[in-house]
Formats: sequence, C-alpha cells, structure tokens
Amino acid sequence: MYALNYVKAKSLKEAAAILAKNPEAKLLAGGMTLIPTMKQRLARPTHVVDIAGLSELRGIVSKGGKLVIGAGTKHHDVATSAVVRKAIPALAGLAAEIGDPQVRNRGTIGGSLANNDPAADYPAAVLGLGASVVTSKRSIAAEDYFQGLFATALDAGEVIVRVEFPLPKRAAYSKFHHPASGYAMAGVFIAQTAGGVRVAVTGAGPGVFRWTAAEAALAKSFKPAALEGLALDASGLNSDIHADRDYRANLVRVMAKRALAKLSGRK
Amino acid sequence: MSAKAHNHGPVGRVEDKRLVTGGGTFAADYNVPGQLHGYFLRSDRAHAEIVAVNTERAMKHAGVKAVITGADAVRAGYVKPMHTLTFPGKGGMQTRAPERPVLAHGGVHFVGEAVALVVAESAEAAQDAAELVEIRYRDLPAVVAPEGALAPGAPQLHGNVPGNLALEAEVGDAAAVEAAFARAAHVTRLKVEVTRVAPNPMEPRAYIASYDARADSYTLHVCCQGITTLRRHLSAYTGVPEEKLHFEVGDVGGGFGQRTPAYPEHGALMLAAKQTGRPVRWVSTRSEGIACDTHGRANVIDGALALDREGRFVAMRLDWVNDMGAYLSPASMGHIRNTTTCMTGVYRIPALYATYRVALTNTNPVSSYRGAGRPDIAYTVERLVSQAATELKMDAAELRRRNLIPPEAFPYKTPTGSTYENADLPGLLEKALKLADWKGYAKRRAQTEKAGKLRGIGIATVIENTGAGQAAKDEVELELDAAGNITVYTMSKSQGHGHETTFATIVADALGVPFERVRLKQCTPERQHRLQGNHTGGSRSTVGAGSVCHLAAQKLIEHGRAAAALELAVEPSQVEYADGVYRTKESKRTLKLGDLARSKPVSVIAEGKFGSTFPNGCHIAEVEIDPGTGAAEIASYAAVDDIGTVINHAVVEGQLHGGVAMGAGQVLGEKVVYDPGSGQLLTGSFMDYYMPRAGLVPAIRGAEHATPSSVSPLGVKGVGESGCTGSLPAVANAVMDALAPLGVGHLDMPLTPSKVWHAMQDARKGRH
Amino acid sequence: MAKVTIKVNGKNQTRTVEDRMLLVDFLRDELRLTGTHVGCDTSQCGCCTVHVDGRAVKSCTVLAAQANGANIVTIEGMAKNGKLHPIQRAFSECHGLQCGFCTPGMIMATAGLLKDKPNPTDEEIYKGLEGNLCRCTGYINIVKAVKMSAKLLRGKKH
Repeated sequence: MYALNYVKAKSLKEAAAILAKNPEAKLLAGGMTLIPTMKQRLARPTHVVDIAGLSELRGIVSKGGKLVIGAGTKHHDVATSAVVRKAIPALAGLAAEIGDPQVRNRGTIGGSLANNDPAADYPAAVLGLGASVVTSKRSIAAEDYFQGLFATALDAGEVIVRVEFPLPKRAAYSKFHHPASGYAMAGVFIAQTAGGVRVAVTGAGPGVFRWTAAEAALAKSFKPAALEGLALDASGLNSDIHADRDYRANLVRVMAKRALAKLSGRK
Repeated sequence: MSAKAHNHGPVGRVEDKRLVTGGGTFAADYNVPGQLHGYFLRSDRAHAEIVAVNTERAMKHAGVKAVITGADAVRAGYVKPMHTLTFPGKGGMQTRAPERPVLAHGGVHFVGEAVALVVAESAEAAQDAAELVEIRYRDLPAVVAPEGALAPGAPQLHGNVPGNLALEAEVGDAAAVEAAFARAAHVTRLKVEVTRVAPNPMEPRAYIASYDARADSYTLHVCCQGITTLRRHLSAYTGVPEEKLHFEVGDVGGGFGQRTPAYPEHGALMLAAKQTGRPVRWVSTRSEGIACDTHGRANVIDGALALDREGRFVAMRLDWVNDMGAYLSPASMGHIRNTTTCMTGVYRIPALYATYRVALTNTNPVSSYRGAGRPDIAYTVERLVSQAATELKMDAAELRRRNLIPPEAFPYKTPTGSTYENADLPGLLEKALKLADWKGYAKRRAQTEKAGKLRGIGIATVIENTGAGQAAKDEVELELDAAGNITVYTMSKSQGHGHETTFATIVADALGVPFERVRLKQCTPERQHRLQGNHTGGSRSTVGAGSVCHLAAQKLIEHGRAAAALELAVEPSQVEYADGVYRTKESKRTLKLGDLARSKPVSVIAEGKFGSTFPNGCHIAEVEIDPGTGAAEIASYAAVDDIGTVINHAVVEGQLHGGVAMGAGQVLGEKVVYDPGSGQLLTGSFMDYYMPRAGLVPAIRGAEHATPSSVSPLGVKGVGESGCTGSLPAVANAVMDALAPLGVGHLDMPLTPSKVWHAMQDARKGRH
Repeated sequence: MAKVTIKVNGKNQTRTVEDRMLLVDFLRDELRLTGTHVGCDTSQCGCCTVHVDGRAVKSCTVLAAQANGANIVTIEGMAKNGKLHPIQRAFSECHGLQCGFCTPGMIMATAGLLKDKPNPTDEEIYKGLEGNLCRCTGYINIVKAVKMSAKLLRGKKH
C-alpha cells in the first residue's frame, strides 16, 4: 500500500479534529474493508485514524423499545450478545453470517455502514428495521442514510457513533452467499415493525432498497404465498459474470420467502 | 518384490512436525544477505504494441537500483522458451512457436504479461517506483476464445503463427471411424468445454536470483516441483548452460503442475541479479499469480460416440480445440499426448479418431494442471457415455458394463497406439456400485424430492496413464554412516506428497531397519549436478524415484554383502542379510550395516526407468440441487480405485481427497474468465475466483481394487492426480442426471447456481 | 514511522516500523517468525491467521501499529516446551495437512473455533473454517483433525 500516517485517536473529539484538519484522512475501525482497499492501492489516505479502542463507540443496550449498538461493536460481539439475541435475534443471525470468523473478530457495524458496500449485510437490517444512524453531529434515519453505491449521507468528518434499532415484533434475514466472496448475492431482511411490514434487500442492486410491492402484499397476507408472482423490477439490479439480473431477482424472491419461513416458527 | 503395505499409524508424517509448528521453510521465508527486491510491472491490456518504454522517472525514485525491460531481455537473448509440442502434426506440420522475451518487447499479448522489473532496496520502493515507469501502448483488438482465435478475420497475435494456429494434429483412423458411424445404430453427440482454471496452490511464487560473476553462474532460490525439468527449460530459454544454473529449494506449498516450468520471471530476475551484482528477491501476490501463473485445462471438445444395436461402442470421434494462451508453455503437450493415450477410456472402442487444433489467444499461457489432459478426456468420454445411456434409456452402469475392456484383454493395445497394462474393470465397477448403493438410489431420490430438492447420481469409470517421466532415468543415492543412518538423495521434490515419509518407508522396509534411521533429502545443491531424475509431477515419483529407492536399498545390501564377506572372511554366498545385520550362514559372526561405514560413509547410486502405470477407478457422486437457487451440493461420494500397491494408505487417501475436491470445484464453480471484448481478466482474485471450501466434499467412501503392476518393482500405480480424473465427470454427470427429468440437456461447467437455475427455467419454458 | 510494542508468544517486542507495515510482515520480517504465511491479497485465504488478544484474526489485514500493546499468539507459540499442542498433534495424526502452507493458519483458526464451540458439528466446522482455504487436502481430513482436536481439548487442560 502507499505510505500513510497512522494516528490512534484518544477520543471521538480528537478523531473528528484530525479528520477536519486532513481532508484525505480516513477512519480505521476493524479495517476489514479499508485495509484490503489500501493494499490494492485503490485508496490513498494521508492518515488513518484508529478509533477501534474508543469507549464512546462501545456498548450494546436494549431499553425503551430500542436496541442501541455502538459503532465500534464487532460483528462477533453482535452475533453472540445475549442482549441482541433476545431483542432482535435476526440481527444476531445476520452478524453471524458476515464474512468469516476472522473477519467477524475485527469488522464493526460502524465500519460496514460507513462504507455501504452494495453487498454488505447490515444495510438490510438498518433499512429493514427503520433504524437510525446516530453520528457525532445528528441522527440520520435509514431512509435518508443510504445514498447509492458506496455513498452515504455522512458529511466529511462526520463519525457514526451508534445505531439505534427500534425493536420489531419479529424479523428475519436470509442471505444467498456469493460463492467466491461470501458477500450477499441477495440478502433480504423482513421485519414486522410498529409502522408495518418492511422488506429490505441488499446485494442485488447498486445499494440496499425496500421492495415496496412485497411490503404491500405482506401487509395484506403475511405468508410466503403472498410473494408469488410479485413484481420485482429486475432492470435496476446488478448483472455480472456470477449472476445476471433475472437470477438476482429470483434470489430476492427466494430469500424473501425463506426469511418469511424463518418467521413462521416464532411468536 | 513389492514393498510391504504400511499403515499410517499414530506417528504422522516425518514432515508434519515442522509444518504444524510453523517451522517449514517456504520460498518467501528465505532471505539472502545484500538482497534487493523486485517488482514486476505488468500489462494492463490484452493486446497492444509497445510504442515506448521510459524508465527515467522510475530510476530516480529513492532506493531503485535498476529497471529491467524487454530491451534487456532481447539483448541477452532470453527470448525463446522451450515447448514440448515437438512431435509432428497433421501432414508433418511443425509447431509454430512464438518468441517470448522474458520481459515483453514490441508487444504485449495478455493482461498480466510482465513488461518491466523494477529493482530496489525494499519491496515497497520497487512497487512505488513501478508506478513511475511510463509505457506507451497502441491498443490492438484482442481475442480470448480459442475458436474465435482460429476463425478467419481474428486478430493475429504473432507474425509467425498465422491464423493463431500453433499446431494441428490428428490421431487414429478417420476412415474407419467414418465407416463405423455410417453403420451405427445410434450416435450420441456432445460438444463440451473443459474450462480454463487457475491451479492456485496456496503458496504464491517467490524466487531469489543471485549471480556469481567469477563463475558466471546463477543460483536460484525457488519453489518448484523439482529442479531438473526447470533447469532444462531455463537453460534453453536463457542459453545459460545447465551446469551454470544452481537451485535451492525448501518446502513447497503445493504445485499441481503449475510449478514445473521455467517462467519468464526466472529469466528476468537472473538479468537483474547480473546487472545489479546483488541477489534479487521477488514475492508474488495472489492476484499476480491468478493472472500470470500458468492456467490449466482450457479445451473445447466436439465429440461423437457411435453404438451398435446392442449398445456396444463401435467408434468415437473427438475434435479438440486446445486453448494454450498467448505463448506455448513448456509443458503444453499433455493435452494432446495424454488425451491420445487414454482416448478409449476404459472401453473397447474399435475405431477412434481425434483432431487437435492448438489455438493461441490473448490470455495467460496454459500448462499442466493435475492430470494434464487426462481429466479432460475422462470427462469427455464419460459425458458421452452417460448421455448415450440417457438417450437409449439404459442404466448408466449397465451401458458401461457392456463395454468395459475385459480383464483377459490386458495388456490392452488401444487403437491410438498406447498399451494399458492391467485392470479388473468389471470387478472395479461392481465394487463401486455396491459401495455407493447404486441399487438403493431411487429411495434416496424420493426422500430428497420430499424435502423439495432435486437429486442426481453420476458415475465415471476412468483410467489414466501415470508414472512415466521424460528424464533418461531416475537416480537415487543412498549414503550410509557409521551409526547405521541412511540418507536418501533424490531429484524428485515433494510439494505436499509426503515423500519424506513414503520414500523413507520404502528404504526402511527394503533394508529392514527402523524407519527413524532413514532420512530423505531432495534436490540438494551437492547432488543436483550429479544425479539424474524426473521432477515430481504426472504422478510419477513413487513409481520412478520411489522404485529406485527400493533398488538402491537392494544395491546397498548387495554392496554391503561383498564388503561383509571380506571382513568376515567368507564367500559372499555365505553371507545372509536381514534387518540391518549381515551374518555368516554357519558361524554366529555378524556385522551391522553401519559397521560398513566405520571409516567413511558408504554411498551407492541406483537407477531405473519405468514406463507408464495405469491407475483406474470408478467414482459415483450424488448431488442435491436446491431448485430455488440452483445451488448443487454433493450429498455423497464413493470411489473405488485401482492404484496397485500402496505404501502409505493415509497419504494415498489424502491425494485422492484433494484431487476429488479439485474436480468438484471445477465442475461447480471455478473458472478463469476474460472479458470477450477487452480481454480484461474478470476473475482476478479470490473475490471472483471460486475456491473449494470445507464442506464441499463432506465425505468420501473409498475402497481399493488393486491389480498388480509389474511396471515398477514396487507394484505401485501413480495416484497423485487420479482424484480429479474421476470427480470431474462423476460430479458433472450427477448434476446433469438431476436436471435431466426437467428436460435439461448438456450444460457446460461450471454448473454454478445461476447456470443451473437458468437451465431449469429455460427447460420449463420449453427452450432447452 | 511508528514505535510499537507488541507481546508475541509471551515476549514483548519493540520495533520502529513504517506506519503502513502489516502485522503479518512485522511477524515475518521483523521478528523472523515465518510460520505465519501470506497466501492471498484479498483477506480470504486465512493462511495468515494469528490470535490477537485471544481472537483469531487475519494478520494481513491489520497494521502493526494497530496491534501496538496487543497480545499475540502465532503458530510458533502453540507448542509448549517442545510438546505439540493437541491441535497440532491432531492435524498430524489425521493427515490434515499435505504441503503445510495453509496449516498454521488452519490450526490457529481451529483454536479460535474450538474456543467458541468446544464440541462443533460438521456444519459448525465448515462455517468455522470459512475463512481458510486449502488446496491440497480437500478438507475431509482437516475436519477430522478439528473433531479430534475438540476431543483432546475437552479431555484435558493444555
């Protein structure tokens, strides 16, 4: 990788200050995305600001109808947390399927959301649950947070501090793993929330999106059969040597059905 | 005369202790005092003229000592790599081989081709400086598909290879085949692609080249499959005489055929070492390796099998297009030689005819990869046979049974001129059917269908030639010391094969001494200019070097007997030997083996040259397919293999496991993909190139069905590659069997979830 | 440049290194602990797996500077007083290695897996080794080695 300056931030304030002073600086938490990108020489930050140790970014708490997870929380910790398993088991299950065990021991929810890879898993949960991304400056609703391929609503120097998930009645996630990379070729997060059914899809398009036709159908009948023959516009989906848009559209449908099937056994 | 079968006990292999503790020394673990670091700048386009190369800015970068380019390669004469398509083709055609300067000069012909070598004090400096090398290209149209490359109007890669056709060859009897097809009751036709794959051993390449100005010689620290073949290739490529090329090799992290040849990188590093006067070290990356370490397979075969009314095979015709990439690699002949040798498979087919067209394309060169053509021919024949069975509504096993070469026909001379030594194919088949519970399949399928999935069963009965090498002979030296320890010197090189254990076993068994007394050393600097021998590839080391280990032990015993007779003052005929001790027949006087080396070590060299052995097997795979996603999983795998005598069961089993997984990986997901328009490599890393993971082949029910081989004194049949010769067709046949009821015809590998799903949809719409 | 102090296999190691130096290169080049291997460049093959503060991690995807103050165990730290760790023993006895290049990473990943799941099912083993590639063995004996390791570790304290 290119030469860079490593700085370990002692506080969120310090991290923000370094970012403000150095426009080409990047935050480093788990490094599971940033470091491979730097190794490929596709990123050339002047500074990497290590925020992995910050206590301000830690914590998993469920209270007041919300599950709050610190941005620096590792995937392994989300996957194995008794609090998460009780509050939103689908979220624990999702985290348990990110990458591989070694990646889960380093990667963080904040890092994943800041990067917004179109095939990452967390965006589906955040959009599917109508969560809020709380930063050093404000709280951003899921609807407003994701802005397309690797693009988010974050301003320069804005740091994700925690994610607040309203507790759903129930939720499930089903993912089809890309045979080579292990990322989501299609991942569907379905939740029955206070505001109604939400169906969020990742991996299939240029960014996470809600399958509104499915939400409407499931609102009427919360059964796999409701998804039969449902319209899913394949034209906006990704197409590459591994999967064309028609196959991805199929995967979305199938993963949605399987997510629903997971829910049938629960309360 | 065969070695005692040795069961792998709780001891493990000799090599394990250092490998499980991180004590192995692989190529990138080595450093040489005063070394510089090299970084290869590689072409980012598939086909272009090199208009200008400017290294001025790069040379000014801190730490840079040299930038070697194609001009240096041409000046040094490092331009003509060896190839092995040295047999005459159709009508006496001679192979047209393009030149290939070790660094591209004048033009680049595939993405990843090395264009310059930057040499600096650190690897980082070399890589940083490489970005400052300015290369001006004039882009040319590229062609990556072999049939496209041979078509009129295709972009021409090399001036001396018109039509991109390097060689056209034929084998067999065209007239007899045509006549048989005309009379046939049934003809089944199938065009298949055996995909281009990347061998991807887990260790990326790493070399260190040093130049000794006084001796005008080079020492190369490498990972390789043996140094004799590498040395021969490299000497031909560079003009440096073999006696001036010295090699050092430690532990090697897998090879599978990819590490046999000399590469341009060897030559470029030699130039750099000579120019700078310092050793130059290069460590490859995985992405670099996927792009430029030789690829495997890449054949398109248009085949037809003719049968009579009783379902007996009367003729087969195969038309091959062999994609060899942009240049002919040194190990290119397997796809023609081996496929010719095994063309008839395990069947009696009276008339055979095959044509081969070797195409050059704007892609990475293709070379040997586990099986070197034998999995390709096995796949083609077994797909044709299974398809014929489906068309004739015959049981796939029965059609095979009807056509197997019977035991009494061995040694069997095939219509393509090869002779199979020995096999009991009917017995092998029956054993496999029983092991796989072929008869109980319907019940299992019903259960799978109840669970909402599809199930298929695929069978492959295969044979292949292994063991014969190209070296004049294999030589092995045994050195005995006064303590009775024996050092075995070979020119073979294990890359995971376990020779330190198996060859020591062979010698220990032959001498009747404890295993711990015998130690193997491979390709040592002191012996490499004295001993001849084949590299390790083509499943030949146990047959070849292993047998010679046995012969050397016997020679040591005889040599010792003469010396013992002198010491014991009796006739040699009066001296008996057993378990490390000589004793006279009458008196109780004895002499220990080690005593012979009391004053100085005793050394004997034995030699041998052995022909091909013919391991054969019947593999049966069952798959389950998730109709929602098209994903196929291996539900069971049974393999009965005739591999002759077995020295170490665990080692042999391990080789079969690994080979089966490789074949399964190729059928279910692996493929090197180039963009047809630009020639860009689309599967350039593990993010896009599928690799088998734990669970792909959950278990293998295995059994042996040995028939003795008299090719070598040990009676072994080379087995290292056999696993994928069986699994490539078995797994493919299983998936096709699962899809056949839906009306899906042949599908080419890889049978990815997407491909399977699409085929199911098309069949449903009546489009297949 | 960064001055780092990292505890490796029980011993504190202090070096001054480039900020961009990867942990795997620190181990291999600075400390000459070459048992940890580099097998790929997209953080997928797992050959570089070590334990950082008790968790299995791909050392090719961590900067040495990030590991400042951490406690690291590499493959060289698994055997104690010349006695093989049960996992090392199991891999050898089950013939779970051939060329040995992926083996250190595979063993470290296994140790991590068995810490989280001391009695794993086949599926849990497949999932637990998702981050480790092997080209030689076909994995069947590796899975056997993991199961034997689990048994050995459950039977005794190492």
